[in-house]
Amino acid sequence: MVELSEKLVKGEGRFVDDIQMPGMLYLGFARSQYARARILRISGAQLTHKEVNFDIAEVGEGATEGGSELLKHPVLAKDYAGYVGQPVAAVYSDDRYVAEDLIDSVDIEYEPMKAIVDPEDSISREEMYPGVKSNAIVDRYFGDDFTPDSTDIVIERKMVNRRIATNPIEPRGVVAAYDGNKLTVWVSTQSAHAIKEGLSEALKMEPDRIRVVQVDTGGAFGLKGGLFPEYVVACYLAMKEKRPVKWIETRREHLLASRPGRGAVAKLKLFAKKDGTITGLKGEVIVDNGAFTGGSGEFSPIFIVKQLAGAYHLPNAYVRALSVLTNKAPQGPYRGAGRPEAMYFIERLMDGLADKLKMDPVELRLRNAATETYTSPLGFQVEKSRPFLESAIRELNYEKYKGKENVGFALLILYHATFGGESARIKVEDGKVRVWTGGNAHGQRHDVFIKTLLNEELGVSEDHVEVMKGDTDMLAEGVGAWGSRSSMVLSSAVIVAARKIREQIEKKQGKYTVQALLAGKWDHYEYFNYDRMESSLGANLVTADVDDYGRVKVKDCLSYYDLGRVLDPDNARGQNAGGAVQGIGQVLSEELSFDEDGLPLITSISDAGVLSADLVPRFDIKFHKSESPLPSKAKGVGEAPTIGVPIALSRAIELATGKTILETPIKPEYLLPVEKE
Amino acid sequence: MNPPTFEYFAPTGIDEVIDILAKYPGEAKILAGGQSILPLLKSRISSIPYLVSLSEIKGMSYVVEGKDGVKIGSMTIDSDLENSDLIEKRFPILHDATKQLADPLVRNVGTIGGNLSHADPANDLPAVMISLGARFTIRGKKGSREVEARDFFMDTFTTALEPDEILTEVYIPFWGRNSGGAYVKFKKNTWNFSVAAVAVQLELDGNTCKKAQIATTAVSPKSGRVESAEKHLVGKPLTDDVIKKAAEEVAASAEPVTDSYGSEEYKREILKRITREAIKKAISRAGGN
Ligand SMILES: Cc1cc2nc3c(=O)[nH]c(=O)nc-3n(C[C@H](O)[C@H](O)[C@H](O)COP(=O)(O)OP(=O)(O)OC[C@H]3O[C@@H](n4cnc5c(N)ncnc54)[C@H](O)[C@@H]3O)c2cc1C
Repeated sequence: MVELSEKLVKGEGRFVDDIQMPGMLYLGFARSQYARARILRISGAQLTHKEVNFDIAEVGEGATEGGSELLKHPVLAKDYAGYVGQPVAAVYSDDRYVAEDLIDSVDIEYEPMKAIVDPEDSISREEMYPGVKSNAIVDRYFGDDFTPDSTDIVIERKMVNRRIATNPIEPRGVVAAYDGNKLTVWVSTQSAHAIKEGLSEALKMEPDRIRVVQVDTGGAFGLKGGLFPEYVVACYLAMKEKRPVKWIETRREHLLASRPGRGAVAKLKLFAKKDGTITGLKGEVIVDNGAFTGGSGEFSPIFIVKQLAGAYHLPNAYVRALSVLTNKAPQGPYRGAGRPEAMYFIERLMDGLADKLKMDPVELRLRNAATETYTSPLGFQVEKSRPFLESAIRELNYEKYKGKENVGFALLILYHATFGGESARIKVEDGKVRVWTGGNAHGQRHDVFIKTLLNEELGVSEDHVEVMKGDTDMLAEGVGAWGSRSSMVLSSAVIVAARKIREQIEKKQGKYTVQALLAGKWDHYEYFNYDRMESSLGANLVTADVDDYGRVKVKDCLSYYDLGRVLDPDNARGQNAGGAVQGIGQVLSEELSFDEDGLPLITSISDAGVLSADLVPRFDIKFHKSESPLPSKAKGVGEAPTIGVPIALSRAIELATGKTILETPIKPEYLLPVEKE
Repeated sequence: MNPPTFEYFAPTGIDEVIDILAKYPGEAKILAGGQSILPLLKSRISSIPYLVSLSEIKGMSYVVEGKDGVKIGSMTIDSDLENSDLIEKRFPILHDATKQLADPLVRNVGTIGGNLSHADPANDLPAVMISLGARFTIRGKKGSREVEARDFFMDTFTTALEPDEILTEVYIPFWGRNSGGAYVKFKKNTWNFSVAAVAVQLELDGNTCKKAQIATTAVSPKSGRVESAEKHLVGKPLTDDVIKKAAEEVAASAEPVTDSYGSEEYKREILKRITREAIKKAISRAGGN
């Protein structure tokens, strides 16, 4: 069996930039040099908003508070540029080099304005757009106000997860072609269907006239679930010129103008009794939305706040969720997408509380772990977590590390994006079983578990199965691969579809056999509906040392995650290591920083802080197996390490240095030990 | 990430290189390993109409031991320096630097001539050559000349090279018996340039410092000797206190700038600490204690 991953590491993948077509045009973008400016004049461009006058998205539900048409991201800037890197005008040529030359020949005259950079300042600044009521595009309270007991202990903290680029190895990219009626789009994506829907909305085109095909996708991490201005312009140009059009993002463009993740500030107060029992939570969470909607800023603060009970019993809570306009690219989902932020905030409060009470932090967690499943005052259901935590402490050997190493511990809930379900189609023809699914691998190994499941359900060997990539013409509907959902809903869709195929055969031939399956022609499309959000528990233990220069050495990084049924242990290990490396990067070095004029300071991959191999610790993952209610019995894992590792590592560094860690990334300067004279 | 148009030459002799450079003064540039110049072109920070590759010229890559020193051809790649036993034995300071310079991929193509001629104050080899007292052979229309390493680096990205000149050879003189040096680099990350780095080359007389040459990387507009710090060492027994004073002077005379890796003060503090480390390592390599 040739796995997709094997093909990819051997260089046999076919990525979007590998697509060559006769007559292809190469598209390039002239981008804003200013974080906030009026655009007075554009010359030397082939396409501007005057001709390509589309917006990227409807103003979302959450945006109603500040609702204005101006919040929509125009695919090419109108008379206003809201962030450095925003596409202002487009150029193209049949020669890629010339297309780049043409970018330099576009002349844009600006009238710069004072940028809004710091999310904490945004609300008190003048409105970014005329007509918006405030710079808060989301401003809502969750829970009910309460009066804390006057004898309660309070721990108050401001915590920050600064913005980071998603930085998949393969940046964004698209090829569009038009035959006079139908637009075909090949794209590096997490969801062919989401791209199709977005294009249909943006271009105001009937969905039947758009086909979106996912090509091999070299990493995505949340970024590639969405539609981007550049894709819309590529499609427009393909239709206008009736020629194939390619746009491939450069790394610099990625760092400036893709949708970075994190970017959240929390100011929270946690109340507790003297014995450590937590009694309530108050405060606010502010998400750095960027200059337009269309990313995840309308959703992100709400999602974060709803999770703030962590895995604990939290009787009272009253928290404000804010998303504010800043002169930066729209904030977007990045592996975990709100989950790592929420758990970081509550878990770092727990560590702070433990220190204040001079209690062991794990002991404090045990005291507060939910003993029954309940709905938190902030909105989400919190699983009964105490038994899991007890076994996590054992399995991760906490007692062995405690007191001897700088050891951090995290307890987390991973809320899976199972809602919406997923689709699958199985088509048998000429002895081949082909499978399409709504979500597809973008660095994971969906093909492995799909083959395992088909083998179980239909007895068919892997050699007969071919796992196809996303294709909207082959699959009526679909959702996408994100939010730790595929092992749950995608696998379940495959299982149900396989069972329906079996039924077809039984109905027609009385009895199911593999021979009958492979000899016949069968086809079944299944939309596996699921409207609940599932969750699973996890724990991480991380040890670290810090040297005389303040350099962090992460030593052990242990995970204990509830995977329910483990569909593919190797893949789970891979997910764990990869996610942990991203989590470590978030703590030690990854950041998209800006100066006070909103000019990005990080414009090259060499400064983006992506972790290098020498900083990778020893990993171990243990599985807790409490089955999910889904047909696949599995639970998702993809985001768990990006949630738990930053928390546990921050704590380990805190113990190594004696310095309180409340921000990611930690500035190396902050960790430099003071020398004794 | 595609460069603007340029014309490409690959002559087989140094004279031809000089002819082309002289024909397009300021517009023609040498292409050696390409590890600095190609990123500049591809990111369109620079536009260079004529590129003259040295790749077809034979005999520009060598490390040869002479009576008084070592000669290095300017097209010698960093990896060859890193793996040279001669260099490791005679100039451990250069070995320190080459094994930490960029990553193995870059070292397999990047050249000593390019590293020096580029005159990036963040490059590692300028400081090492200055502290070792190296001399560079330069050829141009007017013939051949020699320039001391300390006089070669004029400013950021600016050297003593005239537009028609090429750096052909680096000569490093042997130091006396009781000498030793060390290069300590505080890296941004494992495969990258430094936040700060320092080269210290010493000669001892017993426990007393006879000669000291110190130069820094990435903390000033150009790499140059820190004579004010050298003065703290020369003629003195190398006590902790003397080392500390010299390191403080190196830090004080640097001109680091605040960036995403840290503030000016932080970089000075790092520089101070790595200088102490480098001096101690140099002393121990020089046979002192
Ligand atoms: C990812 C990465 C990381 C790096 N990290 C480091 C690092 O940590 N430390 C470090 O020191 N460097 C680092 N570099 C730079 C690298 O060492 C380059 O190889 C070096 O700066 C230039 O050498 P080159 O042979 O590649 O020269 P080129 O890039 O070909 O040329 C550089 C310049 O020198 C001129 N030139 C080249 N040869 C001659 C000559 N013989 N005579 C006259 N002029 C000449 C060229 O015209 C050009 O202006 C890094 C580079 C990369 C890509």
